[in-house]
Amino acid sequence: MRFKIRRFDGERSYWQEFDVPVKRGMTVLECLYYIKENLDSTLSFRASCRMGVCGSCAVRINGKPMLACETQAFKLKEPVKIEPLKNFNVIRDLVTDFEGFFKKHEIVKPYLIRKSEGEIRQTPEQLKRYYIYTLCVKCGACVSACPVAKNSLGPMPIVSAYRFNEDSRDEGKEERLKILSDHIWHCHFVAECSEVCPKNLNPAEVIQRLRLEVLKFNVRW
Amino acid sequence: MRLNTMAFYLHRITGVILAIYLCVHLCFLTTVKTGQYSSLIKVTLSRQFLPFDLMLFLIGIYHGVNGVRLIIHEFGFLYRHRKVLLYLTFAIVLTLWIAVAWEVMR
Repeated sequence: MRFKIRRFDGERSYWQEFDVPVKRGMTVLECLYYIKENLDSTLSFRASCRMGVCGSCAVRINGKPMLACETQAFKLKEPVKIEPLKNFNVIRDLVTDFEGFFKKHEIVKPYLIRKSEGEIRQTPEQLKRYYIYTLCVKCGACVSACPVAKNSLGPMPIVSAYRFNEDSRDEGKEERLKILSDHIWHCHFVAECSEVCPKNLNPAEVIQRLRLEVLKFNVRW
Repeated sequence: MRLNTMAFYLHRITGVILAIYLCVHLCFLTTVKTGQYSSLIKVTLSRQFLPFDLMLFLIGIYHGVNGVRLIIHEFGFLYRHRKVLLYLTFAIVLTLWIAVAWEVMR
């Protein structure tokens, strides 16, 4: 199969083509490893767990942000175009800078805020309210797909805020809603984040739910 | 470009066009005072101007119907059926536009 990879050497950006002998069952990440080990050792990409848990290998495959380790190469249209994520600064080849992404994440206080001390109990029903949102792997696919993410918080931090707001052990909901009041209105409901999320978290839905909560919080007297 | 993104950009572009049209329309109306209105209205009501009118209808209908779709979502309804709603939006826009065009061209 022919792969077209967007390369960046720090100064110039260009396309480079590689032919990879793809076998059934091979993922795009395995193809990238094949290229690095056999064709061009200078190719840079980020990867770690190889099983869709760490979120490191997110790239744009034929224009769509996806996890390279979870994408079967055989299912793709040739030539397979691989590019770095959009809305991120490219460091080299497919490696993007996630510093700003994690800085934005910090804004929403993505941790349990407790005012009281002592044992914290949680029922399975309470866990169920937020569990699915703990599956976010912070891969950046949602931010890459969002046309307004560059000038806003982006979908991931909002999903993260929702996850902690829904957690019965957390006592910082008001604090987060106050922070979100300045950021949540930038969403235009393009809903591409929900289309591309590799964990099917539906960030577009979460954003709309949080908007209503922010609205209720701000109009209370 | 994927369908959701396309709908977003179309909404923006049609919005800008409608804003520009509104300004031009207001300038047009001020010619009532200057006395050039009757000569200008002859041009805009001519047969040659019809394609522009039809384009304006399409732009207005798309912006309006898509706006309703967005309002529905932003009020917290039908997120899970967003794809169906998007296709429905395009279908409604096309149907309305054809109906309006038919009425105008008759």
